[in-house]
Amino acid sequence: MPYLGGEEALRDLRRALSNPHVQAEPLRYRAAVLRVIRLMTQGVDVSGLFAEMVKAGAAADVVQKKLVQLYVCAHAPRMPRLALLAVNTLRRDCADPSPAVRGLALRGLCDLRMPGMQEYVQQPLLSGLRDRASYVRRIAVLGCAKVHRLQGDTEVDGALVNELYSLLRDQDPIVVVNCLRALEEILKKEGGVVINKPIAHHLLNRMADLDQWGQSEVLAFLLRYRPRSEEELFNILSLLDGYLKSSSPSVVMAATKLFLVLAREYPHVQADVLVRVKGPLLAACTSESRELCFTALCHVRQILGSLPGHFSSHYKKFFCSYSEPHYIKCQKMEVLCELVNDENVQQVLEELKGYCTDISVELAQGAISAIGSIARTYTEQCVGILTELLGLQQEHITSAVVQAFRDLVWLCPQCTDAVCQALPGCEDIIQDSEGKQALIWLLGAHGEKVPNAPYVLEDFVENVKTEVFPAVKMELLTALVRLFLSRPAECQDMLGRLLYHCIEEEKDMSVRDRGLFYYRLLQSGVDEVKRVLCSPKSDPSLGLLEDQTEQPVNTWASEFNTLAPIYGKARWALVTAHQPGEPCYAFSPCSDSGNRGTGSLISEGSKEVLKVHPDTGSLTLIPDVALTAEQFEKTWLSLAVSCQQSLPWVGTVHPDTIQTALHVVHIQTIAMSKAGVQPWKAYFTAQDDSGCLFLAELLLEAEDSGMQVAVKQSEAKPEALQAFMSVFRTAVGAVAGLKS
Amino acid sequence: MIHSLFLINASGDIFLEKHWKSVVSRSVCDYFFEAQERASEAENVPPVISTPHHYLLSVYRHKIFFVAVIQTEVPPLFVIEFLHRVVDTFQDYFGVCSEVMIKDNVVVVYEVLEEMLDNGFPLATESNILKELIKPPTILRTVVNTITGSTNVGDQLPTGQLSVVPWRRTGVKYTNNEAYFDVIEEIDAIIDKSGSTITAEIQGVIDACVKLTGMPDLTLSFMNPRLLDDVSFHPCVRFKRWESERILSFIPPDGNFRLLSYHVSAQNLVAIPVYVKHNINFRDSSSLGRFEITVGPKQTMGKTIEGVMVTSQMPKSVLNMSLTPSQGTHIFDPVTKLLTWDLGKINPQKLPSLKGSMNLQAGTSKPDENPTINLQFKIQQLAISGLKVNRLDMYGEKYKPFKGIKYMTKAGKFQVRT
Repeated sequence: MPYLGGEEALRDLRRALSNPHVQAEPLRYRAAVLRVIRLMTQGVDVSGLFAEMVKAGAAADVVQKKLVQLYVCAHAPRMPRLALLAVNTLRRDCADPSPAVRGLALRGLCDLRMPGMQEYVQQPLLSGLRDRASYVRRIAVLGCAKVHRLQGDTEVDGALVNELYSLLRDQDPIVVVNCLRALEEILKKEGGVVINKPIAHHLLNRMADLDQWGQSEVLAFLLRYRPRSEEELFNILSLLDGYLKSSSPSVVMAATKLFLVLAREYPHVQADVLVRVKGPLLAACTSESRELCFTALCHVRQILGSLPGHFSSHYKKFFCSYSEPHYIKCQKMEVLCELVNDENVQQVLEELKGYCTDISVELAQGAISAIGSIARTYTEQCVGILTELLGLQQEHITSAVVQAFRDLVWLCPQCTDAVCQALPGCEDIIQDSEGKQALIWLLGAHGEKVPNAPYVLEDFVENVKTEVFPAVKMELLTALVRLFLSRPAECQDMLGRLLYHCIEEEKDMSVRDRGLFYYRLLQSGVDEVKRVLCSPKSDPSLGLLEDQTEQPVNTWASEFNTLAPIYGKARWALVTAHQPGEPCYAFSPCSDSGNRGTGSLISEGSKEVLKVHPDTGSLTLIPDVALTAEQFEKTWLSLAVSCQQSLPWVGTVHPDTIQTALHVVHIQTIAMSKAGVQPWKAYFTAQDDSGCLFLAELLLEAEDSGMQVAVKQSEAKPEALQAFMSVFRTAVGAVAGLKS
Repeated sequence: MIHSLFLINASGDIFLEKHWKSVVSRSVCDYFFEAQERASEAENVPPVISTPHHYLLSVYRHKIFFVAVIQTEVPPLFVIEFLHRVVDTFQDYFGVCSEVMIKDNVVVVYEVLEEMLDNGFPLATESNILKELIKPPTILRTVVNTITGSTNVGDQLPTGQLSVVPWRRTGVKYTNNEAYFDVIEEIDAIIDKSGSTITAEIQGVIDACVKLTGMPDLTLSFMNPRLLDDVSFHPCVRFKRWESERILSFIPPDGNFRLLSYHVSAQNLVAIPVYVKHNINFRDSSSLGRFEITVGPKQTMGKTIEGVMVTSQMPKSVLNMSLTPSQGTHIFDPVTKLLTWDLGKINPQKLPSLKGSMNLQAGTSKPDENPTINLQFKIQQLAISGLKVNRLDMYGEKYKPFKGIKYMTKAGKFQVRT
C-alpha cells in the first residue's frame, strides 16, 4: 500500500533506532519501536528496518522484546536470511531467568514459520517442555504442534509424542489441555490422540480445574473413549452430571453430546439427558446474543426431529419478538411448525397469522409457508386462515398463499374443494413468477372444480406475449392441455392460439420445445394424451413419506454440537453417504417448487426411467409395463413363488394409498379388493430394465395378522429379487404406519 | 480451531486481521460480503456462512462484525462464545468497543489477541489475568505514555497464575475497601392487542465491582432465594453451598465481574410494570387515520418509570403523521416510517399521551399490518422479580469494607402489539 510520507518516516525511524543516544535510554528506544509497529499495522511497508529491529530485540526490556517479536514474526517468512539474526537473539532469551521472557522468546521462535527452523527450535522447545514455569510449558506444548506443521509430512517424532503424553499429567490445567490439542494435531494422520482408560479417568478428575474452553474441548476428546462396562459408563456419567448445568452454553452442549454418544444403548438415559438440558437450551434460545440464540435454535430443531413433543409446552418461548433479526425469526417459525400439537395448535396458528402481515416480505411469506406446512396435519383450521389472508389483497401474501395451497392440495386432497373456492380473484393480484406458476398449476389440475378456470387461463393466454417468465409459459401450456381434457369445448380455441404462439413466435427454446411436444402428443389422439397427462393429482403418501420423522437420537448424536445442525445440507450429504439402503427417489414433488408440476410430467412423458437407490442392487424398474389382467393371471399361475414374507401391519387397508405409494416406485397395480373386505387381496406387477417380470400378491387375512407378501419372478435372479423386495417393503412400510 | 479473525465494519471494510496458524487471504471475506449485501440490515447477516474451504462464524456487536475463519468441524457455540468474550474484553479494556477505539489502540488489541489465543486455541481469557499481562490504556496513562514513551505492556508475569485461586491474583491492596453489587433485570415481553401478556421473561444479572484487600471470602444471602431456579454462576461461587443452603459463598475476583445470571420465566412471577392504551385506526375510505397512545404505570411498587421511549414502525402507506404529545418529543421519519417518542418520566397523575392523525397514501387499501409498539424504560431501585439481597458478610480479612447494593429494572425486548 503506498503511503504518503512513508519513506520519510522510515528514514527518521532508522536514524532513531540506530542512534546510540536513543539506545541508551530505554524509554526513547521503546517509543521508536512502538512507532514502527504503529506504521506496520497501518499497512506501511516497514520491512526495510528488519536489521535495526532485530537489534532492538536484544534489549533487556520485556515490552520492547514483545513488540519486536510482533514485527519479526510478520516479516520473517519474506526475509529468511536476516531472520536468522533474530533466531540467535530469541534462543538466547529462551534461557533468560524471567519466565515471561522465556515464554515470549519460545513463542516467537515457533511462530517464525520459515523452512529450516527445526534445528534451531528443537533444543529450546525440549527445555521449554521441562520448564519450571507453567507459562513457558503452555507455550512449549503448543509450539511442538507449530513446529510439526512446519516440517510438513515428515515422520512423527516418537520421543516428543511420549513426552507430550507424559505432560498430560502436568499440574497446570492449561498445559494438560494444550497437550491434548498439540497431540491431536501431530497425530492427525494416525487418527489423533488416543484416549485410553487411565487418560480418560485422569482427564475426568481434572475437569473441575479447567476453564470453560478446556472443559468443552476435553468433553469432545472424551467422545473417543469407550467405557468397558456398564458400571464404568454410569460412573463417568454421574461424574459429568454437573456440566449439563454449566453457565457456559458451549460446555452444556459438549456435555450433552458426550452423554448422548456414551449412552447410545440406553435410550431412557438419552431421553433423560434431553429433559435435563431443556432449561439451559431454552435459556440459550432467549439469550442476549443473537448468534447463540440462532445456534441453540438449530439444535432445538435437531432434537425435535427425534422427540416431536419435547418442547411443545414451551412453545411460547419460540414466539418471535419484533426486534430479532430475520434468521432467528425464520428458525423460530420452523421450530413452531415442528412442535405444534393438539393443545397448542390454536395459539401457534394465531401467532403465525400475526407474522403473515409483517412488513418484511420475506418473513410474511415464510410465515405463510409455515402455516402451509402445519396444514398437512391441521388442514381445516389452516386453510381457513390462509383463505382469510387472501382477503387482504396484498401481492406478496396472495402469491405465497397460492403456493402454499398448491403444495397442500398435492398432499392433502381432502382440502381441494375449499382451495378451489378460494382461488377466484387471485389472478389480478399475483405478479411474480412463482405465484403465477402455482395458480396456473392449480387451475390446470383442478380446473373442473373452478367454474371460471378457462377464462382466467384465457387472460394469461391473451397476455402471453408480454409474459416475462418462461417458467410461467411452460406451466401455462401444461395446465391448458390438462384443462382441455376435462373441459374441451371452452379450451380448444385458446389452446390452439397458445400452441401457435409457442411454436411460431416464442424465442425461448425450452418453451418452444414444450409447445412442440404437446402439439405432437395431441396429434397422437386424445386417449394417448390422457394416458400421459392424467397422472394422480394428489399424492398423500408422499407427504407422509417425507415427514416420516422420529428418527432415533443415535442418528444425529454424533453431529450434535457441530456445524451440521446449522447446515442441514451438509448433514443430508453425510447421512446419505453413510447410510445406504434408505430409499431415495429420483424425483420428489416437494423438491423445487419451480419445476413441481412440470417435473413429474417430464419424467412420465419422456419415459425417463426411475432409478431406485443404487445401493439396493442397481434395480431399475421401468415405469409402464404393458401387462393385461389376463396375461398376469396366466403368468401368475405358471410360476412358482420365489419369495414369501410377512410385513407388520395394523388396522385396515387403504387401497388408494398403497396404490399411489407403489406407483411412485413404478410398481403397477393389477387388481385390488375393496377397503374393509376380509381377507383383503391385491396383485401388483413390475418389470426391470432387463425384462425380468415381478408379480406380487398382498394378502391380509385379519385385522392384525400382518400382511403376507408373495412374489414370483419370470427369470430366476436372486439379486434383483432382493432389490425388488426391499423397494416393495419400503413402499408398503411407508404407508403401513399411517393411521387414517 | 480458530484460524484467523477479521474485523469488518458495517460498510464492509476489513480494518483488522489476525492470523494464528497460516495467513488466510482476505478474499475469504468475499463470501461474507455477499451475505452482507443480501441481508437488508446488518443484523440480518447469518452468523454461520459456509465457503468451499472454510466456515465463517461471525458475531455482530457495536456495529462491528467479528468474523472467525474456521477450517475444521468445530462446536459452533464454542466459537461464538469465544468471539463474544473477545468483544467483552475489548470493551473492558477501552471502555467502548468501536472501530475508532480499536484502530487507536491497535497495538494493545494485537497483544491481547496474541495472549487470548495461541495456535488458534483459547489461552488466557479471564480479564483479570489479561490485564496483568497487558495493562489497559487509561486517559491518564495515554498522556503519560506520550510524554514518557512507556507502553501498556505489563512488565511482569501475572502472579495470579500461580495463586491457588485461579481467578484472583495475590497481594491485592486498596486503601478504600469497597464491594458494590448491581442487580440488573431486563424484562422481555410480548403484550397482545387486548393488553394480556403473551410471553414475559426476566433476564437478570448481578454484576459486582469488588475492590478488597487480600483474600476476602464473601457470603451473600437473599431474602427470597427461591426465585432463582434457573441460574448460572461465575466459577468462583461454591456450588455445593448454594445447593444445600441457598447462600452464595465465594472468593471474588478482583475488580468487575458478573457474579451470576438468572432467568425468571414462570409467567405468574413476571410483573409487567407498564401498560399502553392504543387506538390506531386506518379508515377505509378517507386518507386520514387516527392515532392515539397513552402509556401508564402498572405494578411498579411505587417507583417511577423513567427514560421511557416508544418506537413504532408504521406501515408503508402512512405518508405523514401530525401528532401532539402531552410531554416529551416525537419524530416521525417519513422515509423509514419510524415513529419515535421520547417521553421521559411517567407521572401517574398525568399520564403521557400522543394523539393526532395520520396521512395515508390516497387510493391504497387500508394497510393490513398493525404497527408494533416497542418500549424502552428504566426503573431505579427496583428488581421487578422481587429479588432482594438480605446480607453480605466478609470473612478472612480484618478490615470493615464499604458495601453497596443497587437495583435496576430495564426493558429488554418489550413490545406491545396493536
